[in-house]
Amino acid sequence: MNPPGAHATPLPRTGDAAEDYGEAGTRGQTVLAARVIEKIAGQVASDESSAGGSSGGFLGIGTRADLSARPKASVELAGNIATLRVEVGMLYPVPLRQATEELRRRIATRVTELTGVDVRQVDIRISWLTTGTNGRRRLL
Amino acid sequence: MRQTAGTLNRTWLTILGILCLAAGTALILQASGTLPTLLNTAPAWQSVVTGDLHAFLAPQGVAAVILIIGVIIGVLGLLWIIAQVPRRNPAGAYRLHGDGSRGFTLCDPSVLAAAVEKQINTLPGVVTSAALLRGTAYAPDLTLKVTVNDRADVQDVIHRIQTTTLPELSSALEAPLQSSRLQIDISGRTQSTGTVVHSTGTVVY
Repeated sequence: MNPPGAHATPLPRTGDAAEDYGEAGTRGQTVLAARVIEKIAGQVASDESSAGGSSGGFLGIGTRADLSARPKASVELAGNIATLRVEVGMLYPVPLRQATEELRRRIATRVTELTGVDVRQVDIRISWLTTGTNGRRRLL
Repeated sequence: MRQTAGTLNRTWLTILGILCLAAGTALILQASGTLPTLLNTAPAWQSVVTGDLHAFLAPQGVAAVILIIGVIIGVLGLLWIIAQVPRRNPAGAYRLHGDGSRGFTLCDPSVLAAAVEKQINTLPGVVTSAALLRGTAYAPDLTLKVTVNDRADVQDVIHRIQTTTLPELSSALEAPLQSSRLQIDISGRTQSTGTVVHSTGTVVY
C-alpha cells in the first residue's frame, strides 16, 4: 500500500514530448510523499528568504531559534492540490507583511515548479523574531 | 501592565452618586416642606401608607418581582467585584495577511513583545523589561515596563525607546502604534550583560 502522497503532474512541454502524455500513464506513475513536499517547502523558505527555523533540543524541548535552520512545514494534500503550513522565524524588525507575502509567493512558485503540485494556499506562522543580538550583549 | 476597571468604576460611581444626590435632595426638600408645595405631595408629618402593608405585598407577583430585582442587583454587584481583578488582556494572534485567499499569516503578539524586550534589554542601564501588546495588527497598543539600575540615564533610555524601539515595532507591523505606555522602575540590581566597549580602533584577530 502506498503512503498518502500527491501524484506528480508532468511539467508542460512543447513539441513531440507533449504527445507522450498519453503513454506516460501506461508506463507507471510517480507518487510524491507529503514529506517530500514539506521538506522542499522548508528548504525553499530557508534558501530563498531570510526566514529561519529551530535547531537543537530533544523532543521539541530546548530548541533554539536559528536563522540557518530549515523552517518546519506541513502539507495537506487533496489530490494534486496542496495547502502548506510553514512555521518560521524572522529577523526583527523586517516589515512582516511584506516579508511573509514574498515568502508565500516564493514557496508556492518553487514547490509548484519542483513537484508539479498546485499550491493553493501557504499559511505562515511567525513563531519567533530575533534581533540578531540574542537579547544580551555578547560578553567580551 | 495589567488593566483595571477604572472606567467601569468611574461610570458606576457617577451613576450611583447622581442617584444618591437626587434622593438626598428630594429628602431635604421633603423635610423642609418645599417639595409638598412644589409638587403637591404629602407633607413630611403625614403618613403616606396607611394600614397594613401585607395587603400590598400579598400577591405572589410582587414577591417574584422583588426577588428578580434583588437577584439582578446581586449579580450586577458580583460582576462589578469580579471586574476589579486586574487583567493583562493580551491581544489574540495578529493576522498579517490581506484577504487570506493565498493563505494566512499569523503572529502571536507575545513573539513581537519578546523581540521588543530583547531590543530594550540591550540599552545601557536596562536590567530587565516586559512588553505587552494589545489592540489589533492594524492598531497595536504597546505597554512597556522597563527596569533600569540606579546608574542608568533614564532620559537617554526613554529617548532611545521613543526613537528606536517604537518606530521599529511600527515598521515591523507596518502600522502606526495606536498608543504606547511606558513605566520605568528603578532597581538596585546591576545589568548582567557584560561590559560594553565602544571601540573605534582596528580589531586584530
